[in-house]
Parts: sequence; structure tokens; C-alpha cells
Amino acid sequence: MTVPLQAEALDISFKLVPAIIVFLMMASFLVIGYVFKVADTEGMWVAGRGIGNIENGMAIGANWMSAASYLGLAGLVALSGFYGLAFIVGWTTGYFILLIFLAAQMRRFGKYTAPDFVGDRFNSPTARALAAFTTLLIAYVYSVGQARGMGLVGQYVFGLDIIPMIVVMMTITVGYLALSGMLGATKNMAVQYTILIVAFLAGVYVVGFSQGYSTILPQIEYGALIADLGREFSAPFVNQPFYLWIATAFSLIVGTCGLPHVLVRFYTVRSERVARWSCVWGLFFILLLYWASPAMAAFGVDLFQATTGASAYAAEGGMSGAEGDVIVVLAAQFANLPTWFVGLVAAGAMAAAIATTAGLFITASSAVAHDIYTELINPDATQRQQVLIGRGTIIGMGALVTVTAFNPPALIGELVAYAFSLAGVVLFPMFFLGLWWENTNRQGALAGMVLGLLIWITSIINSVLPNYIGALGAAAGDGGALVPIYAQYVPPIGAALIGTPVVFIVTIAVSLATPEPPLETKKMVRQCHSPEPMGQQETAADVVGDSTSGGTPADD
Amino acid sequence: MSRDTPADREESTIHSDGGTEAAHEDIDYLDREVNLLRPSTPFMRDHLKIIWSSFVLWALVVFGPVTLTALAPEMMTVQTPIFGFPLHYFLVSLGAPTGALILAVVYTRYRDRLDQKYGIDPDSVESTAPETGEATAADGGVEQ
Repeated sequence: MTVPLQAEALDISFKLVPAIIVFLMMASFLVIGYVFKVADTEGMWVAGRGIGNIENGMAIGANWMSAASYLGLAGLVALSGFYGLAFIVGWTTGYFILLIFLAAQMRRFGKYTAPDFVGDRFNSPTARALAAFTTLLIAYVYSVGQARGMGLVGQYVFGLDIIPMIVVMMTITVGYLALSGMLGATKNMAVQYTILIVAFLAGVYVVGFSQGYSTILPQIEYGALIADLGREFSAPFVNQPFYLWIATAFSLIVGTCGLPHVLVRFYTVRSERVARWSCVWGLFFILLLYWASPAMAAFGVDLFQATTGASAYAAEGGMSGAEGDVIVVLAAQFANLPTWFVGLVAAGAMAAAIATTAGLFITASSAVAHDIYTELINPDATQRQQVLIGRGTIIGMGALVTVTAFNPPALIGELVAYAFSLAGVVLFPMFFLGLWWENTNRQGALAGMVLGLLIWITSIINSVLPNYIGALGAAAGDGGALVPIYAQYVPPIGAALIGTPVVFIVTIAVSLATPEPPLETKKMVRQCHSPEPMGQQETAADVVGDSTSGGTPADD
Repeated sequence: MSRDTPADREESTIHSDGGTEAAHEDIDYLDREVNLLRPSTPFMRDHLKIIWSSFVLWALVVFGPVTLTALAPEMMTVQTPIFGFPLHYFLVSLGAPTGALILAVVYTRYRDRLDQKYGIDPDSVESTAPETGEATAADGGVEQ
């Protein structure tokens, strides 16, 4: 195991004001959760109906933007140059596909977790379990990136080494989760989005203005810097080939459409029309950060070169991966801005990481406690047992994520992208075909999901695990991959470009070769596309009159 | 596989423009097949027209510039007058995401107009369900 990367250039020491900012921010999340908890028990129904376009759009933004958007994205643009833009394109334009193909139909289907949809649509506990397992894997891989981000930013604020810092921050998150999970704060998302976007844009504007890079539109004005930053920053395909660019962008696009915690947002809205418009608003709110991110990367690289006197690029022994990952905070630090201001920027990153980790952990715990344990292992599980299993999952996962984050195999943004390609390969085809082709059946879904999981897992074993396991590493040699040709065409970060079409074809072929799904299931799909308005609390299954799934209380 | 009966097809062609609303009234959507490649109702046909045309534009905006950059790097990396951006950098970092947002707005407006054309009022969604435990549980899980 190599020594974990530290961000050398980061000013690592305990800072009182930033620590207070972080503390106040966490406290405010708890207070908001508490306040709205009261309203929710009074009338959850009214609160649910109140979610409108803009609020849901902000919730989509907060739910979605993690340390990978806040820190990782600028890091990727700074370190990987033109290839980094594949992440910007992939993480934004996917919302359009979500909008035209899935959002409103999901709203009409009316269920609200990925395993729920898969289980009900394909009438199969096994399919539900596979979806739950995938959800768990996604949450795990996704959280490692968050833990690393929290550790790096925590270093700046609290001044410990990275390993103890990751442990401390993850402990705080799991503790926070125990509290906030109980409080059930839906309203927090809009607040978290506001903190995150204000902190980020303040960082970009102030750095740009104080250093003379920009005035009112840093999002465009950074263009003037590009020529000075060297070839690595903008020349196409010098760092990665065209194929990987497309594969990455494609995986992130379909991954966006397959992520359980994104699809959930469309259930909360009033009607399918609101589902569509809130998707548009969500994209706009996300773009507020994504337009500004390359500007921050450009400022950061220029300031890095000016401050350290070295080139920012690894080829010339410049910026390390850890430094790239905190370029947003570093840029503010290099610009000699007051400590409290840099702390504010850091706190925004913390808000992003903590909110997303909390959401992911709760998703994972419900997948284990409800979809795997109760549905498959012990159908008579009591409420108490389920809660116990759920808590155990959170603690177990917290420990696993913490340990993995000590020595992560990639940059924050890349780690999170692995989770996206998993969602894109396994879950996206199920949602898409499940909603758009009524003859997709159980056998097809099972075959497709198993194959999708295999494609992704082999890709990870092929080129990520050799970094960890000595024997695999020795077998892989210098190239770092067991089967180089597989790593070239099915890289973990872009596995969906080949994986998703293959899963589509197999699912369709198996569905055609086996009996059609029951008429009731088909009618459920038809109800998702019918233009007739339906009741706010109705699910497609209710309308079709399916007594088996319509009457069960939703899980959580 | 359920297919349209000849009568269905006739009905939908006859009413394809002037009588859309009338035709729509007669259709039981739970009896019509859902198939992305073979729309079975006039509504679905109209909807898919919007979906596919905006999808094609989206694909061009998102993958067009980067593909052109791979094919003709010299032409695409010229410096533009817009703050000195190289053309490819500008089109990819700002053009593609912004293009997707504009297309999203355009699609959603067209989709709203489709509702109007068929005389559907999405805001007529009324709270048919009483305050049940289901609603509470559903929203309680929503946070994640």
C-alpha cells in the first residue's frame, strides 16, 4: 500500500473560523430537519403536494451535486485538460435524456426506489434483489469519492493528517445521518443547494475579480487565460484518446438516467408536468455550477503556476492528484483571500459531500433492510429487525468506505464516474425498456441485469483491483490491466458505451424468446404513457387495479 | 403482441389533425400497446415526433463538436474572438451543456402544447386519494 496522497500545497492547520462555519452549517441542517419534521407529521400529504418546480429543481441539484461536482470536476478539468470536459458534458446533458424518456413516465409509475420499480415492473423478487445489490454497490463506490473529498477539505479546516481526517469526517457523517435520518428533512435539500452554489460562485467570482482574471462573467472570461495555460489544458486528446472521451461522456449520460437517487426526485412532485419542468430547473441549477467550474480550474492552474513556480502538469512533475482534487480550495488560498473566505469555500464542499453521502447511505440501508433482507431472507422481519439491519448496514458501509478512501485508486470525479457507469449498464436499460417497451419481461430483465453486473465487475477487476491486490497487480504488469484490450474498450469509467447496448440487445432478445409479460403489467406500462391525468397519490398499479402491489405501503 | 386493429388505424388517420381531441376522447389508453418504435395512438405519435427530433438535435450538440475535433483538429482548435477560446473548447465546455438546457426548455414547451392540443389539463390533477398512511410513508422515504 502506497502512502496516501496529501495535498502538499494546501495550508494544513487548524483554523478556528472555518471550523465554526462548518459547525454552524451542520447545526443548521439539523435544525431545519427538526423544524420540518414537525410539519411533516402534521400533514405529510400537504408537504408532499407543496413540492413545486423550483424547489424540486433545487433538490435535484443538491441531491445530485456531491464532492465530485464541487471539487472533483474542477480537478479533472485542471489535471486532464480537454478530457475533463467529458465529465462536464456527461454530467449535465444526461438530464435531457432523463427528461424526454423517463421523468414524467416515472412519475406516473408512482413507485419511488429503483428496486421497487424493477421488482414491480418485472414481477420478480430476484430482479428486485439484483437492483438492490446494484444500488448498494453504487452507493459504496460513490461514497468513497465523497470520503476522500471530505478528508482533503477537512485537512484544510481541522489540520490533521489525511487518514485520521477521513476517519473523523466519516464518523461525523454517520453520526449526523443517525440524527438527520430520524428527522427526515426534505427541506434541507434546497438549503444545501443554496449553500453549495453560493459558496462555489463566491469562490469563482472573488478569485477571478481579485486576481484580475474576470469581472462579471468569469464563466466566459476565463477564455482569455486558456492560451497561457499550455497545451495540456486545452489541446484535444493529448491526455486521453477520442474513444475514452466518448465512452466517458456516454457512461455519465446513461448513468445519470439510471441513478436511483435522481429518479426518486420525480416522485415527490405534484404532477407529471411539474416532473418535466422541475427536471429543466434541475438542469439549470446544476449548470450554475458547471458553467463556472472550468473557470475555477483555469484560475487554479494559473495561480498554481504563479505561486509554486512549477508547471501544473504531472508530465512536468507538477500538481499531484490530491492537489487537483482540492483545486477549488487551493485557488482561493493562492489568491491570498482571507482565511474565513477560503473556509466558506471549503464548507460548501463539505455540504456537498455530506448531503450526498447521507442520501447514499440511507438508500443503501433501505436496499439491504427492505429489498434484500425482508423481501428475500426473512419475509416475517419485524420493524425492529429491519431498523437494526439498516443501522448495521450504515455502520458497516461507513467502515468499508472509510478504509477504501485511505488509498483511493483514482481522483474523486473518476471514482464517482465508476458508480455512474454501473448505473448506466445495469439500471438504465431496465428503466428505459421497462417504460418504453411493454413486452420486456422478467427473463429478459434478469438476463440483462446479470450480464450488466458481470460487464462492470469484470471491468473493475481488470483495471482497478490490480492496484490493490498484489497477485493481480503482478499479473497485470506495467499496463495496470489484466486484459489490456478489455481495459481499452470497456474501461471502468466508460463501461457503458459497449455495456449498455449489449445489455439492451440481450434483454430484448431474451424477452422475445420467452413468454410475454402478463396483461396487467402491460397495462401498467400503458398507464405510464397515457395522457389522461391521474390522481396525485395514485400509482400506475392502482389505476390498473392491481391489488397486489397497489395496496402495500411504500417502503423506506 | 397486441397490434392495432385496422379500425384503429383508420380512426387515427382520419382524425389526424382536425379531430385529434375527439379521437383522443374515444381511446382507451390501457388497451394500446406501448412500443417506442411503433406508436399506437395519435397522441403517442405526436409525442414521439417531438422526442425524436429533439433527441437528434441533442446528439448533434453533445457529440458533434467533439467528433469534429477528432476528425478535423486544425479547423476546430482555431482561436475564436470570444475571449480567445479555442473553438472546440468553447463548443464543448459551454455549448453542449447550454444546448442541452435550451433543448430541454423547447421540448417541455412543445410537450405542454401537446397537452393543449389534446385538451388535457395536467393541473386538473386532484387529490383523489385520502390522507392515507401510504402517502406518509411515501414522502418520508423521498428524502433519499
